[in-house]
Amino acid sequence: MAQLTARFRTENPRYAVEDVPFSVPAASETADLSHLINKLLAARGADHKYVEFDFLIQGQFLRVPLVTHMEMENISTEEVVEIEYVEKYMAPQPEECIFHDDWISSVQATEEWILTGCYDQTARIWSLEGKSIMTIAGHTEVVKDVAWVKQDSLSCLLISASMDQTILLWEWNVEKNKVKALHCCRGHAGSVDSVAVDCTRTKFCSGSWDKMLKIWSAVPTDEEDEMEEAANRPRKKQKTEQLGLTRTPLATLSGHTEAISSVLWSDAEEICSASWDHTIKLWDAETGGLKSTLTGNKVFNSVSYSPLCRRLASGSTDRHIRLWDPRSKDGSLVLLSLTSHTGWVTSVKWSPTHEHQLISGSLDNIVKLWDTRRCRQQTVLLQIPSHSL
Amino acid sequence: MEQPLELESDDDLTDSEESVYSGLEDSGSDSTNSSAAEEEEEEEDEGEQEEPSNGAAPKVKGAPRKSKALGADPPLKDSEGLSVPDEYEEDSSDEEDIRNTVGNIPMEWYQDFPHIGYDLEGKRIYKPIRNKDELDKFLEKMENPDYWRTVQDKMTGADIKLTDEQVDLVHRLQKGQFGDVHFNPYEPAIDFFTHEVMIHPVTNRPADKRSFIPSLIEKEKVSKLVHAIKMGWIKPRKPKEDTPTYYDLWAHEDPNSILGRHKMHVPAPKMKLPGHEESYNPPPEYLLSEEEKLAWEQQEPAERRLNFVPQQYRCLRAVPGYPRFIHERFERCLDLYLCPRQRKMRVNVDPEDLIPKLPKPRDLQPFPTTQALVYRGHSSLVRCLSVSPSGQWLASGSDDGTVRFWEVCTARCMKTLPVGGVVKSIAWNPNPTICLVAVCVEQSVLLVNPCLGDKLLYGATDQVLESYVPPEEERVQPVQWVTATSEEHSRGIRLTVQHSKALKQVTWHGKGDYFATVVADNSNMQVLIHQTSKRWSQNPFRKSKGLVQCVLFHPIRPYFFVATQRYVRVYNLLKQELTKKLMANCKWVSSMAIHPAGTDGGAGTVPKVMCGVHPVMDVPFPPPGDNVICGSYDSKLAWFDLDLSTRPYQLLRHHRKALRSVAFHKHYPLFASGSDDGTVIVCHGMVYNDLLQNPLLVPVKVLKGHTLTMDLGVLDVVFHPTQPWVFSSGADGTVRLYT
Repeated sequence: MAQLTARFRTENPRYAVEDVPFSVPAASETADLSHLINKLLAARGADHKYVEFDFLIQGQFLRVPLVTHMEMENISTEEVVEIEYVEKYMAPQPEECIFHDDWISSVQATEEWILTGCYDQTARIWSLEGKSIMTIAGHTEVVKDVAWVKQDSLSCLLISASMDQTILLWEWNVEKNKVKALHCCRGHAGSVDSVAVDCTRTKFCSGSWDKMLKIWSAVPTDEEDEMEEAANRPRKKQKTEQLGLTRTPLATLSGHTEAISSVLWSDAEEICSASWDHTIKLWDAETGGLKSTLTGNKVFNSVSYSPLCRRLASGSTDRHIRLWDPRSKDGSLVLLSLTSHTGWVTSVKWSPTHEHQLISGSLDNIVKLWDTRRCRQQTVLLQIPSHSL
Repeated sequence: MEQPLELESDDDLTDSEESVYSGLEDSGSDSTNSSAAEEEEEEEDEGEQEEPSNGAAPKVKGAPRKSKALGADPPLKDSEGLSVPDEYEEDSSDEEDIRNTVGNIPMEWYQDFPHIGYDLEGKRIYKPIRNKDELDKFLEKMENPDYWRTVQDKMTGADIKLTDEQVDLVHRLQKGQFGDVHFNPYEPAIDFFTHEVMIHPVTNRPADKRSFIPSLIEKEKVSKLVHAIKMGWIKPRKPKEDTPTYYDLWAHEDPNSILGRHKMHVPAPKMKLPGHEESYNPPPEYLLSEEEKLAWEQQEPAERRLNFVPQQYRCLRAVPGYPRFIHERFERCLDLYLCPRQRKMRVNVDPEDLIPKLPKPRDLQPFPTTQALVYRGHSSLVRCLSVSPSGQWLASGSDDGTVRFWEVCTARCMKTLPVGGVVKSIAWNPNPTICLVAVCVEQSVLLVNPCLGDKLLYGATDQVLESYVPPEEERVQPVQWVTATSEEHSRGIRLTVQHSKALKQVTWHGKGDYFATVVADNSNMQVLIHQTSKRWSQNPFRKSKGLVQCVLFHPIRPYFFVATQRYVRVYNLLKQELTKKLMANCKWVSSMAIHPAGTDGGAGTVPKVMCGVHPVMDVPFPPPGDNVICGSYDSKLAWFDLDLSTRPYQLLRHHRKALRSVAFHKHYPLFASGSDDGTVIVCHGMVYNDLLQNPLLVPVKVLKGHTLTMDLGVLDVVFHPTQPWVFSSGADGTVRLYT
């Protein structure tokens, strides 16, 4: 049986092994190599638990037998191969199920709580253990998106966007466990599908079906903004409907020709919006000007920005996840297409800590974690086929 | 013979010399004259008188010439050289023509004169008199033994008797031999230089010193040349172009000319190869029996199957000569010669070429390709679909007696409206400022406000409906407009238009105020047009033209399309007349769709770009409504180009079963058809700006997904208003979205 000389290396000092070349069978796969490393680690320290590892050769994940991989990548089998290993991401097992009565439109978690928006016109706050802490009712329509604004030990600020064309800014008193609607943000003429809070936690922006992108202040005040009234709307009725003080947008950014599906702050002063008109637009939040437009050819459902690798990831209805470099000025905007979903990609999110990882959710009921390092064929680190309609 | 001749010559020599001198001096002239004029002179008297001297003269005259010519008697000359001064000894040239004083001229000039030339004293030198007649000549010939060797000297006219040497010379020359007897032409040749290469030089002279020293002159010449080359006065010799120039003689020949015809050689048709019956020993079945032979003989020669009788011979040697061989060859030649041959141009058409060149479907993106969402909720077959003008909501009507409103992007059922009956048709108001859905339930049309979307819009819609003021005098109407009860109002129903019979279809006008309904009836009340704002209905047709299947309003013009079983009639609503009648070429029209405005051919695939290029267009071009598609129950889809003809421009037979519904996309050049076979076929239907260019129809995708239920597949297809997506509703109770 053919042997290869390999040198193992890791960046995690917990699992470091001696930096000497090992002779490994050429046909060994990830599991064999993992066994080898575990044996080495067990030999070193007695209190070693078995850990699954993943292996990278020159930045490419090993998914086939070693010799096949090296043939594919044109790596010489004569020399010493440097193999990097990382702890394997295991598919997580659902620990707890939080049951809603209706569809969940959005979810956002912090270290302590989970905030969800639901189609039963409420937003809910859950503890990490899955205990319902608070139900926030106030919208007259489906809650489409939720976001935390500010958290401290006493009170939290959060916003919820709804199909009833309003965004509500809530204050949640943690100790008393009471919510109070501070402001009702009016101005959209369609379902508000997406909200995003900026890094200073003083502003947020919202994208709506009415093709508008609006920037709002997230600072609670006691004053009520003046609102141009719809002339024929009975004032009394409006008053009774209202919950909290009316707030009007700081700025309105118009430019999309179709509904906006996703917004985010890519920078302190830059807003990125994805729309059904097949474009992703970058806006200057300060001036309200359009900075650049990335044009695709399918409807965008979701967009995410990673400050680590400075790339945008977009999920669209043609089942692909595309990576964009928003700063490149030339035509080749799409850096990479990740394809293996079989339904619309409705949500993408970059890892906040790892610059190569992103996670995507799709209408094919699968959540996938991607590693962008593997270029030739995308690496799906794990698939979570947990949801069912 | 020689001896006497020599003697005579000796004498002659002496005499002649004397005579010569005498001739030159004084009196010799007479004698010479007389001798010369032997033949020519007949007239002169004087010549005749001096005839006696003639006889001696020839002898005198001939002798010196002979002696000179021969030159063979040096001793004689020497002996006489003593006595005679030898100043003419060497020069014998003048001596010969001593009596010829005229030079070398044609003697004919003196033909008519008795003399030839003149002597020194200017006297004539007379020719010898020659007046011999035939008799004299004969006598002389008889008598003179030397007559055969006597010749006449033309220069002087005198007769000369040739000597033996002269005769001998003449003989030799006649034989082609050398004149000199003693000349040996075959003497042995002695080479001066030997042919062998010798080792020593011919001369033994030592080489000069200068042959070792470089020549100064040459050096000077070379340096001059070098200088000239350096200065560029002498150019290096151009290399000779050794590529020969050829001329294509036939380059400009017309291939169609007569010569060109010969290029097309048509080979002669081959003769049939001989078969068994031509064999000398054919198998017995080829031999003719007696009756056959008799029949063969009675047949006309042209009618015979064989032009010979097969015969059997024992061996090849016994076969006789074929008597008709030459005849047959001749006939064959006549055939070849008289029957003009022509190359038959076989039309070699690849069947692939006959198929029209259609672009590849993948070049015609975007179009729906895969099923994306399934809208589940209906418990029975979903008959009809309609999408809100914004594209956010979808309304579906089902046999389970409900109308459901869906959020398009999530397949979430937002509202369910029970209407208590089979929903045959549903139509969202195309005006984006009005939020109203018309629903056909049994005998009534419900106008429903779904309360979805912008609050302002649906609030305003309610206000518009509520602001209706009934007219003072009640008008007679074919239908009844009923305002919804409060219970119905809370469900969203605003108005009910009650008809007398069951309804088939409802459709809105583009402005959103009028709608038309089709009643399942065979009377003239089949089609009714209603106005929402005035709650007023009218019956546009006085008499029925057949069973109306569906009706449609033209998107912008006041035209009204009515599809009956076999025809589509186009009415002008303003002029109230029939404009066109389209022959559908099918048995039973099921559905119809009108090409909408704004599908620009040039930029049809990217409508947004198109909008940028043509910023303002009052009338979209090509004008909408020029193209109509009709689906029929006999699984055909007919595309009409109203500008071309009233017959279908193209008939597409892609479905295997009856078509239930057809639809155009509002912006993209797409149309779709849903069929009972459970498939939706999406076609690319490009209409060009250029009026001369016909629409391009390419089927691009077959969308499957619906399961057949009760032999029904897809019941309705609708395009999304902004995206290249298509919705289909099926008998399996689902609505599916393909993107």
